[in-house]
Amino acid sequence: MKLPRENFTAFFESLKNYGKVYGPVKISESYGFKEVSNVAQLSLEYPRTMIPPKKFFVKPKERIFEFDEEKMEYRETVENTQIVIFGIHPCDINAIKLIDRVYINEMPDKYYQKRRENALLIGVSCHPDEYCFCKSTGTSYATDGFDLFLHEINDGYLVRVATEKGHKVITQNKHLIREVEARDMEDFKENERKRLTEFKLELNISGLQDMLELSHDRAIWREYADKCFGCGTCNLVCPTCRCYDVVDYVNLDLKTGERKRKWDSCMLRKHGLVAGGLNFRPTRVERLRNRFNCKGSLREDMMNCVGCGRCTVYCPADIRYVEVLQKVRGEIK
Amino acid sequence: MMRLENVLSPTPAKIIKTEKMTDIERLINLEFLDKNFAKEFIYKPGQFVEVSVMGVGEAPISICAARTNPDILQLCVRKVGRVTNAIHNRKEGDLLWIRGPYGNGFPMETMEGSHLLLVGGGLGIAPLRGVLQYALQNREKYGEITVFYGIRCYNMMLFKDEFLHLFREGDKQNVKFYLSYEAPDDKECYELACERSDRCTQGVVTKLFEKTEVSPKNTYAIICGPPIMYKFVVRELIKREFRPEQIYMTLERRMKCGIGKCGHCILGNGTSIKYVCKDGPVFTYLDALNAKGMI
Repeated sequence: MKLPRENFTAFFESLKNYGKVYGPVKISESYGFKEVSNVAQLSLEYPRTMIPPKKFFVKPKERIFEFDEEKMEYRETVENTQIVIFGIHPCDINAIKLIDRVYINEMPDKYYQKRRENALLIGVSCHPDEYCFCKSTGTSYATDGFDLFLHEINDGYLVRVATEKGHKVITQNKHLIREVEARDMEDFKENERKRLTEFKLELNISGLQDMLELSHDRAIWREYADKCFGCGTCNLVCPTCRCYDVVDYVNLDLKTGERKRKWDSCMLRKHGLVAGGLNFRPTRVERLRNRFNCKGSLREDMMNCVGCGRCTVYCPADIRYVEVLQKVRGEIK
Repeated sequence: MMRLENVLSPTPAKIIKTEKMTDIERLINLEFLDKNFAKEFIYKPGQFVEVSVMGVGEAPISICAARTNPDILQLCVRKVGRVTNAIHNRKEGDLLWIRGPYGNGFPMETMEGSHLLLVGGGLGIAPLRGVLQYALQNREKYGEITVFYGIRCYNMMLFKDEFLHLFREGDKQNVKFYLSYEAPDDKECYELACERSDRCTQGVVTKLFEKTEVSPKNTYAIICGPPIMYKFVVRELIKREFRPEQIYMTLERRMKCGIGKCGHCILGNGTSIKYVCKDGPVFTYLDALNAKGMI
């Protein structure tokens, strides 16, 4: 199906019927997913947002339950609001799929699951900048994980429908949708071909996990640990990082309170710390190596990195993810 | 706001008895308020639970007994952090909140028909007590049981009555119970060493390997203790030609969720990424050889 450019605004406006609409917005020198009421606020040409759309599902901070010690009870709190996330790039869609594997596929996390169900995901095609390497990680294209996907062509968007929910949106907006013509398909193919030639950064992922294993004791980790500030920015901006810490907050009556969880970061000292003072990842060397290993494999068969480039863009110590892995492999000295 | 089946929701359990075992360790006996829940709360030796004190936090604690009486859940808790201190301050009749059981536990079926060598150091004996109890309840399924228990001093000995009984009378059940103590001038331990010089020695737990014939033949070794202990015990076992897959060990990590989500207990690299809470906490030494940084 095709959404002609002149119908885009009307289509975007109609999304408000499906929930609060969020989209990429320019914030100072960067971009972020914010609530968008007007199509003019959208920055669809954005390279990447600083905080990935995981924030809608794995909340930076959220209440798990409220408790009352005296009454010996607690009350779970699960929000139930419908949202539309408009303009997600393929890397971020693939990242959400990776988090789904952890949060839904085994021992489903109800809070996460509910929010996933309540969200309408609309992807949009993009062009790589000098930090993108999603072509290497195989995540430059999303085959599923979204409801609708808009591929930009010369005079509009080619619309892919992946779910029933997406299909419903299209049906209800039939008047804005046209049939795809042969010329549109040509445009699409040409754009995709061109896009794949635009990548400047490349990461060889073949056998990467074994490379990491063999490099466990290599001096390279010390070299980068000396550069690393241990600030945890890479974790915050990573679309697949989802570690959380749990904290209880007590009200002034000392009887009631709430349990919250919030984003945690494996680059911080206390991530591996247990009661009694023992730390299983005591120095930045272990922590940095652990992060690269974690990103290198979600499971034996799968990278836990989608090549979005955020950790490199936002690293204050200028540690370049791809460069580190190229050194691990010995491609560069 | 709605109510739902939630893996992060704990279940209340009443403290029916809390016994002081040492200056820093207590044995907490819990009873679930919901009897049906208790019936379905089936656990294996080596599994753990997340224990909450509302307003303080949650901590992973290993279950220190085999499941015989479904009404009682036993936890041996050392006060070492915020949550465990709060647990120590709770009195009989107070509530704790439990999630679990989590982790893989010890493969008791796999070990059937074999001899067991349990090596525990300090508080590490707590999860091993579950294995020991299970094996004693199913005595005919297991061969000879040997226990190496290393303590700092007599006052730090856990489950004193039970273990001293096994130390003295264990042979009747084909259990050889060995004791090592670190404090050289410990009077009570010295007396035990005088009583059974073949079963009690001064020194760290590996010292017991010098005193005892340990054969890898048809034997599984099970280790739990402070992190520093593992490689020394493993070294002794490998010297005696134990194969890596004959050595089981259970690990400690920061485990905030217990279900492989919060990410703190991740270890290993490349092809050997493991989460201690759901892939473990029981691993073989073969796993440790693959996943660097495990021990």
